[in-house]
Formats: sequence, C-alpha cells, structure tokens
Amino acid sequence: MATQLVKGNSAIIIGALYAGCDCFFGYPITPASEILHDASKYFPKIGRKFVQAESEEAAINMVFGGASAGHRVMTSSSGPGISLMQEGVSYLAGAELPCVLVDIMRAGPGLGNIGPEQGDYNQVVKGGGHGNYRNIVLAPNSVQEMCDMTMKAFELAFKYRNPAVVLADGVLGQMIESLEFPTEATVPEINTSWAVNGTAETRPNLITSIFLDFTELEQFNEKLQAKYAEIEKSEIDYEEYLTEDASVVLVSYGISSRICRSAVDLARQEGIKVGLFRPKTLFPFPAAELKALADKGCSFISVEMSNGQMIDDVRLAINCSRPVELVNRMGGNLITLDQVMDKIRKLAGEA
Amino acid sequence: MSKPAPKTYLAPGHRGCAGCCDALAAKFMLMGTGPNTIVVNPTGCLEVMTTPFPESAWKVPWIHSLFENGGAVASGVEAALKALGRKEGIKVIGVGGDGSTMDIGIRSLSGAFERGHDITYVCVDNEAYMNTGIQRSSGTPFDASTTTSPPGKISFGNPRPKKNMPAIMVAHGSPYVATTSIGYPRDMIKKVKKATEIEGPAYIHAHAPCPTGWGFDGSKTIEMAKLAVETCLWPMYEMENGELTQVKKVKNPKPVEEYLRAQKRFKHLFTMDGGDEEIKKIQATADWNIEFYGLQ
Repeated sequence: MATQLVKGNSAIIIGALYAGCDCFFGYPITPASEILHDASKYFPKIGRKFVQAESEEAAINMVFGGASAGHRVMTSSSGPGISLMQEGVSYLAGAELPCVLVDIMRAGPGLGNIGPEQGDYNQVVKGGGHGNYRNIVLAPNSVQEMCDMTMKAFELAFKYRNPAVVLADGVLGQMIESLEFPTEATVPEINTSWAVNGTAETRPNLITSIFLDFTELEQFNEKLQAKYAEIEKSEIDYEEYLTEDASVVLVSYGISSRICRSAVDLARQEGIKVGLFRPKTLFPFPAAELKALADKGCSFISVEMSNGQMIDDVRLAINCSRPVELVNRMGGNLITLDQVMDKIRKLAGEA
Repeated sequence: MSKPAPKTYLAPGHRGCAGCCDALAAKFMLMGTGPNTIVVNPTGCLEVMTTPFPESAWKVPWIHSLFENGGAVASGVEAALKALGRKEGIKVIGVGGDGSTMDIGIRSLSGAFERGHDITYVCVDNEAYMNTGIQRSSGTPFDASTTTSPPGKISFGNPRPKKNMPAIMVAHGSPYVATTSIGYPRDMIKKVKKATEIEGPAYIHAHAPCPTGWGFDGSKTIEMAKLAVETCLWPMYEMENGELTQVKKVKNPKPVEEYLRAQKRFKHLFTMDGGDEEIKKIQATADWNIEFYGLQ
C-alpha cells in the first residue's frame, strides 16, 4: 500500500480520483487553490474533465449541470467563495442532485484574511442558502481523512442524491502529513434513471426545483425532511477519546480537535478526567451520543475557531442539561493548548 | 524640455513586490485623475498590498468590497453623489485586475456601463490571478503557462486567446475606450485624464507585466511592457463612440520571440517539440494586430 507525504488539499484530489470523480469545476481562492491546481494537473491526464470557471457562481452551476447529467462532479473553495455559491447549493439540494463541495475555511467575515478559521460552520452545516434543506457535512481532522472523507462524500452524495460537503480549514488544507492511499478505486455507474444526459431513455427526465403548487412544494419539502431524518438515523460518525470516565468532555472537530487531544493527555497527567468527543459528521450531528455523555453528568467545553457556532448544536443535543463552555479563537488564530488547559483547570477547580 | 510629472496620490511603502506592475499602474492612474477622486477597488493584489489593515497607501478615498462587484459599487458611489448634488468635480474611478474586470466582475461592470454611470474604470491587466497563485484568467495570453494551464503532453499552456475586453466595452456604447501600458506612463496618464473628463462610462485597459507571475526580473517591468507594444502583441489605441481615433504606431515591429523568450511563462515554447509552430501562431496574432489596428 502506497504511503506518501501529501498536502491536505492534494489529498482531496487523490480522494476524488479514487472516488471516480469525473469532472472538477473550480475557481481559485487561498487557502484552497491547490485543490484546483492538482485537479488541473491530474484530471485531464486520465481523461477526466477539469474546467476553471470565471467565478464561484459559475463553478457551482457547472456542478449543477454536470450532476444533472448523472456524473460525479465536485468543486472546492473557501469562505467567500462558498458564500457566493449558496444560491447554487440551494438549487442543487432542491433538485436533489448529488455533488461534492469542499470548503477550506478561512477567517471572515468579508474578505477577512487567509488564516484558518471554523466560522463557516453555520453557513455550511445549517444550509446557508434559502429554503428547508441540509447538506451532508463531513469534518476531517487529518490529511488521511481529507482523502477518505472526500471518497465518503461521493458515496453519501449519490446514496441520498444530496450535496455533500467536506468542511476543513486552512491548516488542514495546507499541512503535510503521510497519506496511505486508498486500496481500491470506485468504479462509478452513471445512473440514468433520473439524470438527463442526452440519451433516448433520459429524455423524459426533468431536473428542476420549481413547484408552483403550494401543496406540492410542501409535500416535496416533507420528502426532503424524511430524507434528512434517514441520514440522521444512518450516517452519524464520531470519535471518542477517553470519554468513558470523563468529568469534562471537550467537543471539537477539524484541526481544533487535534489540539484537544493533546489537552486530554495533559489534563489526565494532572489527574483531571477529561475526554474528547469529535463529531466526524456535522450533519448529521451526533446528538444522541452527546446526550448519553451528558446523562452521566459530565460538563462540556466546545472548542472551535469561531465565535461559537457548533456550541449551539452541543447545547441542543444535550437539551442544555449540563453546562457547556466555549474555548475559541477567531481571525485566523489557532487555539492554544494553554487556552484549553486554563479552561479545564478552571472547571476542575470549581467542581 | 520635459514637464515635471504630475503629483500622484499613492504613497510609497506599500507591500508590492519589487517592480510591481499594479503599484506603477495605480500611481500613473492617480496622476491622471488628480486628488478629487474616489477609488473603488475590488479584490486583488492591488487591494491587498496597498491596504493591509490599518494601513493604506491611498491618499484619496478608497473603497474595497467584494471581488465581483467593482462596477456595482462604483455605480452606487456615483448615484449617491448625484443624489446628494455633489458629483460636480468628483471623479469616481473603478480599478481592478483582469480577474475582477474580465471574469468574475464582468457582469457588474457591464451593468454599470449599460446604465451609463459617469465613472471611469481602469483594468490593470497582468494576465493571470497573481493574488491567489498565478491561475489563468480570460486575460491570459495563448500558450502562457499558469498553475491551472500547465504545459505538458496535451497542451502548450493556456489553450485560448486573450479575451478582447476593450471591444466588449466599446460594444456597450462607451464614449471612450482606450488601451494603454504601464511602459508608457505619459500615455496612461493622458488617457486616464481624458477618460475622467468625458461624461459617461469610460474604460481604460492597461497592460501590466507582473515580474512574479510572468517570471522576469523585477527591474525589467517597464522594459517588458514596452516589448509587448514593440512586438505589436499589445496595441495601444483610443476609441471614441465606437470609432478608432488614435493608434500608437510601431515603425519596426520586433519579432514576438524577443518578448516570449524574456519570460518564464513562455519558456516551454523554446524547449518543447512543436514550440516553433506555437511561436508562429503568436506571431500571427501580432501580425493581425498590425493589420487590424493599422499599427504601421
């Protein structure tokens, strides 16, 4: 099995190629551009399509076109570009089209800067565009998972005919770690039962998100909600580290969770029973699993590089039954081990 | 014999690379506009390197918003000034790169020109997205190597010719469209001044060689800009109300090879099999320019 030192952004394209992605449509933005560079380098070489769009809006609508034809398509960007894509994402969800989006989050709002942040949580996990839709959201915390979760995203996008997002950050995109290459490539089947791809049998198919009749649209929305409920039932993924006996549980995803793992180890050396709960899927959010921990009586610290966005989902998951504190940084700064430890020690002191 | 240069309103000490084309373009642009100017600057190298918060190199009011909306923001500024009765004597200038002008920003620029706002828009065209790592734009010339148009087995680099943006702006019925180059400061200053004095939406397209993105020494920016004009790959002209009214003549055009050889982005044309044929195609573009614009 091949192992190589790879940049996080490059691992995305490796995952996409193994997942049988046919077409990449994209537009450059720091810190996500290497995804585009690698797509331009490797896709044409093996007969797949790479198109550099003139804007993120064009890129997401190329995704709409490619997905409508039943192909395995993707795009990537960072905060400002993801914002610009939101209209298209809502339409993709509304037309029930499978596709993969990668968001390498940077600091906002506005142009912000190119440092890492996790401030796109709300716009990506809660929908972002208009209407009653959800994205499937996967949150890697290593270069390995950047690759693996891109593959997983294609699988889920097609299983549920829904946009799937790989939500990473500037650090994960730019950092280099060893990557164990996938053992097997997916051999994609083009499903023509719903797609429109210029063949006789797909001629009657229709791709749209318009329902002029109010009740019909309501019924369609109910169908979408049932699909999301099914996703919540079947696709939750998370990682627990020493939560069994923990009095304090850190809840963290992405690069922040790596720092939390160190905090857990350090706290335990100091005799404080701390654990880490890492959601690997942000939608569906592992609510029941967190509730089970809360029922054991622990308190929580949501550790995230934002103004506190995931913390809302943690509070909702446990019905606010236990205290949930926030440790955060913004503006492109990483959370420090000291910062997490200070909060842990404070909570341990109070207990 | 020469007159002193007009005052500019871009301070030194910005964060541009050595030999930065955007800094030169902004400097010359402001020499043409004078101080009573409001600058609207969409995202790009110029915006990033002149305004690392809380600093600014601009000695005139300056607005940045998004990447795709320079034309719209300039329209808003102009309309607000008119509503306040304060437009008289104030110049509203949009300035963006090839990406924010020709690609992501073309829709809002088109809207501004079609509605006929009294603005001047300056495109500083360095022929790729330098701010995000040298990806191709629709201003990237044929066969240039960029990070998203790498030459290799299946291509010689960017497979498409440069978009004729000035022609698109002429088609909007703009009263004044001119091309210029940062290699010819007097020409650029004169054209920007003229553009701001004409009522209605005027467009200046300034060719701007980027040492970092094109791969040449930072001391050669002006030289490279001149070579583009001297090889007739960058024709300099004015069009007023759709008519070609002035052209910079090039008496003895140099072969395009001289221009291409000096830049790393075209290096592969001299090392790859079939490169000769590609250079001939680029020479044909220069020859077409000579014929079409009457450069000789």
